[in-house]
Amino acid sequence: MATKASRTAARAMMSPSVILLLGWMLIPLALTLYFSFLRYNLLMPGGNPFVGLENYEYFFTDPAFQTAVVNTLLLVGGVLVVTVVGGILLALLLDQAMWGQGIVRILVIAPFFVMPTVSALVWKNMFMNPVNGLFAYLAQSVGLEPFDFLAHAPLASIIGIVSWQWLPFATLILLTALQSLDSEQLEAAEMDGAGPFARFRFMVLPHMARAITVVILIETIFLLSIFAEILVTTNGGPGNASTNLTYLIYAQSLLQFDVGLGSAGGVFAIILANIVAIFLMRMIGRNLDA
Amino acid sequence: MGAITLEKVTKSFGDVDVIHPLDLRIEDGEFVVFVGPSGCGKSTLLRLIAGLEDTSSGRIVIDGADATDVPPAKRGLAMVFQSYALYPHMTVRKNIAFPMRMAGLDKAEQNRRIEAAAAALNLTDYLDRRPGQLSGGQRQRVAIGRAIVREPAAFLFDEPLSNLDAALRVGMRLEISELHTRLKTTMVYVTHDQVEAMTMADKIVVLSAGRIEQVGSPLDLYREPRNLFVAGFIGSPKMNLLTGAAAAERGATTIGIRPEHIAASPDTGPWRGIVGVSEHLGSDTFFHVRIEGRDEPITVRADGEVSLHHGDTIYLTPDENRIHRFGPDGLRLA
Repeated sequence: MATKASRTAARAMMSPSVILLLGWMLIPLALTLYFSFLRYNLLMPGGNPFVGLENYEYFFTDPAFQTAVVNTLLLVGGVLVVTVVGGILLALLLDQAMWGQGIVRILVIAPFFVMPTVSALVWKNMFMNPVNGLFAYLAQSVGLEPFDFLAHAPLASIIGIVSWQWLPFATLILLTALQSLDSEQLEAAEMDGAGPFARFRFMVLPHMARAITVVILIETIFLLSIFAEILVTTNGGPGNASTNLTYLIYAQSLLQFDVGLGSAGGVFAIILANIVAIFLMRMIGRNLDA
Repeated sequence: MGAITLEKVTKSFGDVDVIHPLDLRIEDGEFVVFVGPSGCGKSTLLRLIAGLEDTSSGRIVIDGADATDVPPAKRGLAMVFQSYALYPHMTVRKNIAFPMRMAGLDKAEQNRRIEAAAAALNLTDYLDRRPGQLSGGQRQRVAIGRAIVREPAAFLFDEPLSNLDAALRVGMRLEISELHTRLKTTMVYVTHDQVEAMTMADKIVVLSAGRIEQVGSPLDLYREPRNLFVAGFIGSPKMNLLTGAAAAERGATTIGIRPEHIAASPDTGPWRGIVGVSEHLGSDTFFHVRIEGRDEPITVRADGEVSLHHGDTIYLTPDENRIHRFGPDGLRLA
């Protein structure tokens, strides 16, 4: 873009998509904000009077609210821990030369291509079901009482299911990072007297820091809005033991038909997401600097 | 403290024999250079000594102890890699400290050695920078510093200067030579550049296709190359190799004569030719001379002031005492 003419042309070319994207983001955001200040219930037609912060008050004092926030953070944190740690271990494993490497790599990526509803259903009915599930069968075959995962450990079960879906993503990104590590560096460390664990701790892990940061940031964006897995498996229950913020907003705006309350929840979700983003960038953002 | 002996060492990768059975003795305190064309196995040989590759057979003895199966860290050798292999996320200080940290040296001793190495290598001002903020020559010095602080039995250098520009290379060459005279530690140095080999080595090992062609001091190799390969490899510009009548009348299959051992004259001499390209270096001029009946031009060194031009007739007189004669098997004739 050297000349003034080409810069002008570039701006003219880009403007339709920029305007479209802006509209796509700003109009729903503005409407959500607007609705959150109205008493707007689909079961009560008629005027939608302006009620100020009433919706927010109801949302924050809802008994499920605190649980939902805690569950959201537990879900994000739990899945992040499992996928990052598991992803590093799997990446180390897949980086070894072995027979059938190509097929194993494809198999490892596979879970990522299964849509969330399907994978959650498979887990719910084929693995975790206390009567017909594989886990129940395994428990019985060694003489144990079958464990009803979704009833007694609903959030942990969902963390497990979501981790299974996101593990391939983490593995893949971390594997490519691992492969870009200069082998001479590892050899130099070996000559310098670093054993396998020291090489991992001082060479491999710092080298992967940036990739780990990317995995954490991208996963956080998607994990804050986990919904399908909860809807399909536990419906947020038992009680509200597996309700996260997304599911709570869904329950209020679509099960109770309260658009105003749901919008208030949505605005809070945006704020929570930004708080999480700020903390994340504070903690690990410097890894992204070259 | 740093004598290395290789006994019948071989290395193969799958079916490919990279190193053929090979014996070599490196004396304590010697500066030994492995030199040879790309793919001759010189780097592999160095890595075998370092322990980064396992030998396929044979023994490696370091200071009288069999080190064939000793892991690299326990051999007491330090290596400087071609890419320097600095740790990019650590400062220069931490890079240099790393081997001592792994060895569990106490902090005060670590700092003393770091300061000493930094002072010796002009790195004192850069200790808190990261490798990414250093120039090529500085990185090279950090890599050497990291090797020095271990106080190794021997240093191994794997083409350490090939990533530097020409001017810096000459400077670093001197620094490494000086380091050697100061530390008096054994150094094994791999290069494909015969100028580096000639200028730095106490002993040159010429390798080709996984075999040792000749071992000797730089001047031994220059004066008495054992075979055609060494004759063509050592010396710059290359030795002229002639076959046919000129060789036959001296009782050899091939004769070699270095460009600096041929006198050029505009009017008298046994060989008559036409000047082709001439390279003026100021101090010297190299003429590429075409002689009738020969495809290959002969390279001749003349004084920088000799004025002969493209297309001029030139007469050449070889110094008969410095003609190298080789037999049909490529070996030197006595």
